[in-house]
Amino acid sequence: MPASVIEAHELFKSFGFNPVLRDVEFNLAPGRAALIVGQNGAGKSTLIRILAGLSRPSAGTVLLFGEDSRRLGPRYRRRIGLLTHQSLLYPNLTARENLEFFGDLYGLDDSRAAAARWLERAGLAGVAEERVRSFSRGMEQRLAAARALLADPAFLLLDEPYAGLDPQGREMVATLVRDAVGRGCAVVAAAHAPFVVEDVDFEVLELARGQLGAPLEESRRGRLRSQLGR
Amino acid sequence: MAGFAAVLRKDLRLELRSGESTISLATLALLVLVVLVFALERAGAESAETAAGALWVALVFSGLLSATRALSAERENGCIRALLLSPLDPGALFASKLAAAFAFMTVAEAAVVALMILLFNLDIHTGLVLLAPPLALGTLGFAAVATLLAAISSRTRASELLLPLLAVPMFVPALIAGVRASAAALGGAPLSAMWDWLGILVAFDVLFVTAGYLLFEQVVGED
Repeated sequence: MPASVIEAHELFKSFGFNPVLRDVEFNLAPGRAALIVGQNGAGKSTLIRILAGLSRPSAGTVLLFGEDSRRLGPRYRRRIGLLTHQSLLYPNLTARENLEFFGDLYGLDDSRAAAARWLERAGLAGVAEERVRSFSRGMEQRLAAARALLADPAFLLLDEPYAGLDPQGREMVATLVRDAVGRGCAVVAAAHAPFVVEDVDFEVLELARGQLGAPLEESRRGRLRSQLGR
Repeated sequence: MAGFAAVLRKDLRLELRSGESTISLATLALLVLVVLVFALERAGAESAETAAGALWVALVFSGLLSATRALSAERENGCIRALLLSPLDPGALFASKLAAAFAFMTVAEAAVVALMILLFNLDIHTGLVLLAPPLALGTLGFAAVATLLAAISSRTRASELLLPLLAVPMFVPALIAGVRASAAALGGAPLSAMWDWLGILVAFDVLFVTAGYLLFEQVVGED
């Protein structure tokens, strides 16, 4: 097991002539959490997609579990969880069918039992047989969190995880993140403002104009929160 | 193999629930057939050759629709990202999408063949069974080409335009072979008269199913 779950070196990303990320250096050890903050359009989602191995950097390298992310085999991909503002769920399947489908994809021994367990944890057991299309935004995001954590990932990526969630939903997602960090999962979250997960010490990094700054001091975090109205 | 089965089962479940793809494909294919019947009527076109041509035109249009829908459903809610992030082999994802498209197109074609026999006043004889090999091979080949190219075109803004522009020219060799083999079957010719054309269809299928399996990872991902 490498010391870092993820290591990114000299990352550059551009779309056409438009540079989005410039010389990004980043690494994270198991059981640690990092929060990347920045204004809309700062490149947070692009960075999250690259760290997940979904998008290729224009230059630089990303090592996930010590392996080049561009050649990441199924053994490593199954250890990554992703929760974004898009739910990555099928609207015409029920909540249970969605989780069972992803359980089958991840080769879980008993997808049905895992789905039932996560529906319970997400507070959605009562609507397990309802189609996702009929869910409120908050319910859909809670189910998305259950999907992201279904296979017990060792590396969890969150892109605006609180988008559209009510306070109860935020608390539920925060609990799931806290539990994941507690069992040694590395977490990278991207948000346009700092957010708090009780008992989780996030290293806060600001992404501005495509460059990732050094970890922010607590006083700077507070100023950033107040600037952004949080 | 488990991932392939899971995705195929999910696609079939969604289709059984809504019937959207099959109904759309069958409706489009039947409309194309009806339009061609009226368009060709004055040309005295009640022949096996014309019927075979009309059948394959319907197959091409319904295949384009099938491939477009298969990938756009995965892009809704960003589901394709969840699939690419999972341990599922991209080649297996291609194979499952291909199998689903093949199944939906086959159901639509069964309705189209029945209407074609009716509209073109074709004789019903046991030799019609020989329509199955060229249709099955052509459907598989077109589904492979269209699924692979739909993965590219669905990432662009002009996907509805780009897919036919790319897929139809590539399908021309198989189209010619398929029409000739189908015309022979409708005309009551024996299987031996179709061997050469079926050989072309088999070669086309092997080429594009293999290409799709190997290249899908490169075309379905994000920039």
